[in-house]
Amino acid sequence: MIAMKSVYTTGEVADICKISQQTVIRCFDNGRLKGFKVPGSKFRRIPREALISFMKENDIPLDQLESGKKRVLVVDDDEPIIEMFTELLERDGRFEVKTASTGYDAGLLTQQFRPDVILLDFKLPDINGNVVCRRIRSAPEFEHIKIIAISGVADPDEVTELMAAGADEFIKKPFEIDAVISRMAELVKL
Amino acid sequence: MASSPDTATSDFGTDRQRVEIILAQIEELPTLPAVALRLLELTTASDTSARDIVEVIETDQALTAKILSLVRRADLGVRDDVMTIERAVVLMGFEAVRSAVLSVQIYETFASVEPHDETDFNRAEFWKHSLAVACAAQLIAERLDDGGRPAEAFVCGLLHDVGKMALDACLPKSYARVVRRAQRGHQCISDVEHEILGIDHTITGKRLLTRWRLPKAIAECAWLHHQPPDALPKSIEAAAMVMIVHLADNLVRRQRIGFSGYNRVDPVDELADRIGLPGKALDHVIARLPETIEQHCQLVGLDRLTSTDLYAEALADANEELGRLNQSLAETNRRLAWRSRYFDALRAFHAGLTLDDRVGDVCRSAARATANLFGTEQAVGFGITEAEVTFHVAGESDEAGPAMRLPPLSVERGSARAAVNSASCIMPAMEYWPAVADHVGHLFQGEAVSMLPFVHSNAIVGGVLFTTAHDQIARHNQARAELESLCAAFGLAAATAIVRCDGQRLQEELAEVNRRLHGAQAQLLRARSLAMIARMAAGAAHELNNPLAIISGRAQMLARTAATGQERRALEIISEQCDRATQIVSELMEFAKPYTPHPTEVQLGSWAASLRDRWLDRSSLDADEFVVTISDPAVTLYVDTRQLSEIFDAILMNAMEAVAGSVARLVVNSTSTASDDTVVIAVQDSGKGMSPDVLEHALDPFFSHRAAGRGRGLGLSRAARLAENNGGRLWLDSTEGVGTTVYVELPAGRRA
Repeated sequence: MIAMKSVYTTGEVADICKISQQTVIRCFDNGRLKGFKVPGSKFRRIPREALISFMKENDIPLDQLESGKKRVLVVDDDEPIIEMFTELLERDGRFEVKTASTGYDAGLLTQQFRPDVILLDFKLPDINGNVVCRRIRSAPEFEHIKIIAISGVADPDEVTELMAAGADEFIKKPFEIDAVISRMAELVKL
Repeated sequence: MASSPDTATSDFGTDRQRVEIILAQIEELPTLPAVALRLLELTTASDTSARDIVEVIETDQALTAKILSLVRRADLGVRDDVMTIERAVVLMGFEAVRSAVLSVQIYETFASVEPHDETDFNRAEFWKHSLAVACAAQLIAERLDDGGRPAEAFVCGLLHDVGKMALDACLPKSYARVVRRAQRGHQCISDVEHEILGIDHTITGKRLLTRWRLPKAIAECAWLHHQPPDALPKSIEAAAMVMIVHLADNLVRRQRIGFSGYNRVDPVDELADRIGLPGKALDHVIARLPETIEQHCQLVGLDRLTSTDLYAEALADANEELGRLNQSLAETNRRLAWRSRYFDALRAFHAGLTLDDRVGDVCRSAARATANLFGTEQAVGFGITEAEVTFHVAGESDEAGPAMRLPPLSVERGSARAAVNSASCIMPAMEYWPAVADHVGHLFQGEAVSMLPFVHSNAIVGGVLFTTAHDQIARHNQARAELESLCAAFGLAAATAIVRCDGQRLQEELAEVNRRLHGAQAQLLRARSLAMIARMAAGAAHELNNPLAIISGRAQMLARTAATGQERRALEIISEQCDRATQIVSELMEFAKPYTPHPTEVQLGSWAASLRDRWLDRSSLDADEFVVTISDPAVTLYVDTRQLSEIFDAILMNAMEAVAGSVARLVVNSTSTASDDTVVIAVQDSGKGMSPDVLEHALDPFFSHRAAGRGRGLGLSRAARLAENNGGRLWLDSTEGVGTTVYVELPAGRRA
């Protein structure tokens, strides 16, 4: 699906933006559309992020890109972590993001927002991540939700407990952001 | 006795009888021929000054003790102040000094019994240690503001380990075992002595010195020089002196001067601090030490080889003189009149008594007095305590061999009382107390044995067994009043000794308990602080990893849109350093709370071979620079395999750093311990070794002596922690310029 790609050719950009390929190339060359050339060739490539900001700047509707977005629920009590994930995922463009900072809110939003994937911090102010995990897993309607648990401490016992509670993946803080995003994309089959 | 002599778990108190036997054996101290020779030379030369003799004697602890003791015996009264040899020689004169030298014959006796193994208790090295401690104590005392009485410190230092010499002389084989185990196990020698002998050198030394009636300070130093300052009993008089000797002892061991039987050291800075010795003064003492010791060594010619012929000659002379002395004593005895025999017996008995006598001493004295009184040769004294009767053959400590010693006899409480109720005169032993008569029968070749009971507070506390002609008994029983007062005197002395010995033992046990308690407290403190570090590290990991994740994540995001390669690299470095910080936190956490080991049987031989292969692969070592020797291929370990590898990787990493730039040679060596339930593996490197300062802190977490000491601050301390986690321990031995040996003791598995 063209809308969900992370890197685009000038032809694809022309399709999405409904402008001529010539215009796309001109904009690329004069710097209004950010991107890179495939090493050792003249082929121009535009990252999704750059495409979105180009479309926003030029008031081109984002409809073409919006469809097929995956819903992500980020649960962490640390505000800067939430901020970082939100920014990262929105910039990526393939995700619709909502956030929660307590286990209680996480449960509530799971009901309302019906996320495809949850990024779940282990240590929450009210209940621990494994409890949240188990509650979500206890409802058959949430069976398809993928859960990625994140924690600052990788105590082997805690990790085992989390996986037993139904987490699909465990990631230790700090992490490589590309690895987190690609693992997420993989889990929700993007 | 319930426990056998070699029971490893013997608590103090259970081996009392054994301990008493050991103490009874320690009547005279061995000394060094070199000193004896020099002294004999000096005392016979015409142009010798008192100062010369003082100097020579002061370098030998046995002689020092003997002479101070002689002064006190010569004048039983006000001589508490005789603390130095100089005063002693002035008081005694050369003659007395010569008689002190005669006691060196004891050395020959002990030395001929059991030739010493060089590697165990080397007497010359021990002597050097004592001398070094004496010098160190003197130097420390000189440096103290309040005038630490340097001469007295010297004497206290010289005699502080006298108990070791005594134990070695009496039980050479057992003591060699003590030294071997203390050295190999890196344990405090006192603990090992208790384990193997049931008594340690501090108590032995204290008893011995008290017995010799040396000033209290000397005995207290011998007794308490291993006691941490906080655990010193309030009642002791010379606490300051004890601490000086404690510091001196550790200082000398730390500097590896001479050999005292083991190498463990308490931190000297703390001890110096306690007695108010500034760091600069401590450095000064350390600097002056070798030169001062050298002077003393030369003085007794220990740097030269001693001529055994000369020594033997001197001994022969000495023996002759002793013989003449005995003869004249016998002549005097013959002149004694029958009528004054009771009086003389009593007087002799009283003269032989001291305030510190044990029950055995009283019984022996009484037996001797009785034997003289009845003109018989053989007499056995006995004392009755709670549940047993102990026997003491008159003169057993002089020339009688072990064959003349009698084991204690267990009796039912009260049976002694029932056996001899109202008697206070001589009676046939077989009639009144057959069990006792049977017990000693063989010593009297089947002759009828008579018994003279000791009476105190209407109870029998002991007695003397002897044989004599029938008409003699009748004659003595007629002098009933004299006989009764004699028995009462014997009884009083015996009862006093029993009570006092119990008190003394309690006091000693209390000090020992204190010392152990202190050790246990230190251990508890360490466990507590580790638990605290674990909690702190876990908390820190949670608290730190969030901000680190944000820093790292933001840096990565910025790196994607970085304008230049240089900027991108800078941002990548930020996120790499975040990972590194996380790694440190994780290591700290694992140090404080290692994961629970899952032990399995590990064959030592094949494991060591694979360790070697792995290290030859990853390091620049040649095959012949990494040697593995396994003493017994059947040995297995019972440990967590992963942690085992981590332990030795850390040790080898440390060794590789130590040998950097010099010729590398690593030797891995294994030996099973005596009990076979643990295995000691030694990793020896030929690197630059550690200074005493570095060695002292080498196992502290995050301690590093490298100039840019970062990164692997947990190496050896982590290895030690993991060894403990697997039920073992780790310790170091290192000499600057020679190399370091790391010992790891681990639980053994079943034999393959």
